Amino acid sequence: MGRALLTVSAHELRTRLRDGTAIVIALIVPVTLATLFGLALGGDDPPLRATIGLVDLDGGEFPASVRREVAGAEELKGSVTLRDLPDGGEARRALDAGEIGAAIVFPAGFSARVGAGEGGDVTVLTSAGSPLAGVVAGAVVDRISAVVDARTLAVRAALLAGVPGDEVKELVERNGAAGPALALTGDPLAGGKVDLAVYYGSGMAALFAFFVVGASFRSLLTERKLGTLDRMRAGPLAAWVPVAGKAVVGFGLAMVSVCATWASGTLIFGSSWGDPLAVLTVLTAHVLAAAAITMLVAARVRTDAQADGVIMVISFVAAFLGGSLVPLHSLPGPLQTAALLTPNGWTATALAELAGSGAGVAAVAGPVAVLLAIALGAGGLAVLGLRKGMLL
Amino acid sequence: MAAMTAALACRGLGKRYGDLVAVDDVGLSITPGQAYGLLGPNGAGKTTTISMLVGLLRPDAGEVLVGGVDLAREPLRAKARIGYVPQEIALYPELTGRENLRFFGRLFGLPRRGLAARVDEVLDLIGLADRADGKLGAYSGGMKRRVNIGAALLHRPQVLILDEPTVGVDPQSRKAILDGLERLVADGMALLYTSHYMEEVERVCDRVAIIDHGRIVADGTRRELVSLVGGADTVELVLDGDVAAAFGKLRAVEGVSEAARTGESSVRLLADGGRYLLPSLITAVEGHATVTAAQVVEPDLEATFLHLTGTTLRD
Repeated sequence: MGRALLTVSAHELRTRLRDGTAIVIALIVPVTLATLFGLALGGDDPPLRATIGLVDLDGGEFPASVRREVAGAEELKGSVTLRDLPDGGEARRALDAGEIGAAIVFPAGFSARVGAGEGGDVTVLTSAGSPLAGVVAGAVVDRISAVVDARTLAVRAALLAGVPGDEVKELVERNGAAGPALALTGDPLAGGKVDLAVYYGSGMAALFAFFVVGASFRSLLTERKLGTLDRMRAGPLAAWVPVAGKAVVGFGLAMVSVCATWASGTLIFGSSWGDPLAVLTVLTAHVLAAAAITMLVAARVRTDAQADGVIMVISFVAAFLGGSLVPLHSLPGPLQTAALLTPNGWTATALAELAGSGAGVAAVAGPVAVLLAIALGAGGLAVLGLRKGMLL
Repeated sequence: MAAMTAALACRGLGKRYGDLVAVDDVGLSITPGQAYGLLGPNGAGKTTTISMLVGLLRPDAGEVLVGGVDLAREPLRAKARIGYVPQEIALYPELTGRENLRFFGRLFGLPRRGLAARVDEVLDLIGLADRADGKLGAYSGGMKRRVNIGAALLHRPQVLILDEPTVGVDPQSRKAILDGLERLVADGMALLYTSHYMEEVERVCDRVAIIDHGRIVADGTRRELVSLVGGADTVELVLDGDVAAAFGKLRAVEGVSEAARTGESSVRLLADGGRYLLPSLITAVEGHATVTAAQVVEPDLEATFLHLTGTTLRD
C-alpha cells in the first residue's frame, strides 16, 4: 500500500503546487501578514503590573522570606505586589476573577518539614491572562526549591553522621550548611515580556495552519464530485489510502507554513519564540488538531464549496477566540474562558509561555496534551463521518 | 455451482435507507465472455446495486463473489478482478490522457517496469494512441468516455462493470466504444452493462435483467424476455389536441395492456394485435385529439420493459 499512498500524495502535492494555492496560503499570506502586524504593533509590551497572591498556611520562615525578597527586589518595585489570601480556594477564586495574576500556596508545616530534612511542596497557581505574574511566581518558587533541596541534603547528611534529630536544625544553621538563603537573583521579569511581533506571528501561523491543512481535506470532496474518489475506492487499494495520502500532504504543507512564519519572524524581527524543540512540539500538536478539525468538517458537509465556507468560519472564530488575532489578555473574561475551547487558545498560551520564560517542552506539556486530545477526539469523529459519507 | 465459475455473482443483495428499500433480494450471475445488461427506470436501484457490486457500498444483506472471491471478506483480491467504469468522467481534467492512465495504473498496483507498456496497450485499445498527450479537459465527450473506460482496463480485470458508459457521446464514438466492448467480451471478459439506450443493450448483451423498485422482475436472454410480452405489439402514436384526455381514452381501449406518455404529444401502447387495433385507437381519441402519425412495432425489449415496469426506459 506504500506505493499507492505515495502516488496519491505525489498527485495531491503536484496539484496544490500547480494551482499556486499552496504557495500563496502556506507561505506568502501568513508570512506577509505576520510581518505587517509585527511592523505595525511589534516591540515589547508596555510596562506591566501584576499582583501575586500569597497563601501562608505555614507561618514559618519561607513565606516570610518571600515577602522580604519581593518587597526588597529593585526590579519588581512598582510592577509586582503581594496580596495575602486565607486559603487555596480563595486564591483560585481571585485568580479566576482576574484580581491576581498568580498565587503561591505554602502548606501548613512546610518550614518545619524542610527543617527536618523531609523536603516540601509549594503550589503555584497561574493564569494565561497574566504571563508576567506567572513568570515572577515561577522564579520565586524556583529559588525556594533550590533552598529546600540544599537544606534537605544538609539535614540528611547530619542525620546520617549520627547527630541526634533534635539537634540537627541548630547544627546545620550554626555551621552555615543550610544552603543559600532565599534571594531573587538577576531580573525575575526578564522572561515576562512577550514581543507582540512574536504574538502576532504565532497567531498568523496558528490561523493559516487551518486553511493549509483544510485544503487537502476539501480536495477529497472535489474528488468525490469528480468521481475519481469512487474510482479509487472501487480499485484494489485499501480504503484509507486516498484520505491518508491527502492528509500527509496537508499536514506537511501546514508544518512548512507554520515553520516558515516562525523562521521569518525570528529573522526579520530578531525575536525568539522560545526553546526550538518546545516551539516545534507545540506547532506540531496545533497542526494535528487543525487537521483533525478540518477533516471533521469535510466529513460532515456535502460539497467542497460548503467545506470552504465552514472551514473559513471555524478558522476565524477559533483564531479570534483563541488569541491568534487579539492577545488573549485583551479579551473579556468569558471570551478568555471560551479560548480554552479552541486549539488556538492552547497554542497561544503555550507559545506565550515559551517566548516569555524560555522554558522547555515540560513547561507546555499541558497545552500540548490538550491539543493532542482535540486531535484524537475530532479525528475519531471525522473517521466515523468519512465512512458514512463514503469518503473512506 | 454457478457461483463457483461465475466471473461475477451476487445472491440476496439488499440495501435499505431507513424505511426505503433501495435494493431487495437481487441476485445475478455472469460467466466469463458473457455480456449482461441491467435495465431499469430511474430510481429502480441500478446504481445502488452496482455500488454494492464494486464495493463502494456495504450491502445490508447478501453476498458478492468476484471470480469466486468474497468481496466482503477479501475486498482487495476481489476488487483486483473488477474494472469499474463510473457514469461520470472520473478523471483529472488538468492531466493528459496518458497521465490519467499512468496515475490509476500506479494506484492499482501495476508493476513499475510494465506500466508504460500497459498504458500504451490500453491507449491502442481505446483508439487514442495518437491523442494521448493532450489535456483531458480539451478532449471531446467521446474521447473522455474512452479514457474513462481505459482507466478501468489497466489492471486486466476479469469483469468490467459499466454504468451508462455512452452518455453524451457522438454516434461515431458510441460505435467505437461498443465495437471495443464487443471485442473484450469476445476475448473472454465478463461485462455488466447498464444503459438508457435499449438498442445498445440489445446489441451488446446476450442476457438482460430488468430491475424495478429494487427487485429483479425478469432475467433471461433477449428472446426469453421478449416472449414474456406474448403477441403484443408496441403502438407509437403522435397526437394533436388534448393529449392528456386522449391518453386516458387510449388506456381504456380493450386490448391495450400498457400505456405510457413518451413526449408532449406522443404515447406508446402495448396492445394485443396492435395493427388490427389501430382503427379502434383512432376512434377512441376522437373529440379530444387527432392521430397525426402511427407506427406498429413487433415485440422487442422496449416492449418487454414497458410490459414489466409500466414505464418507458427514459422516463
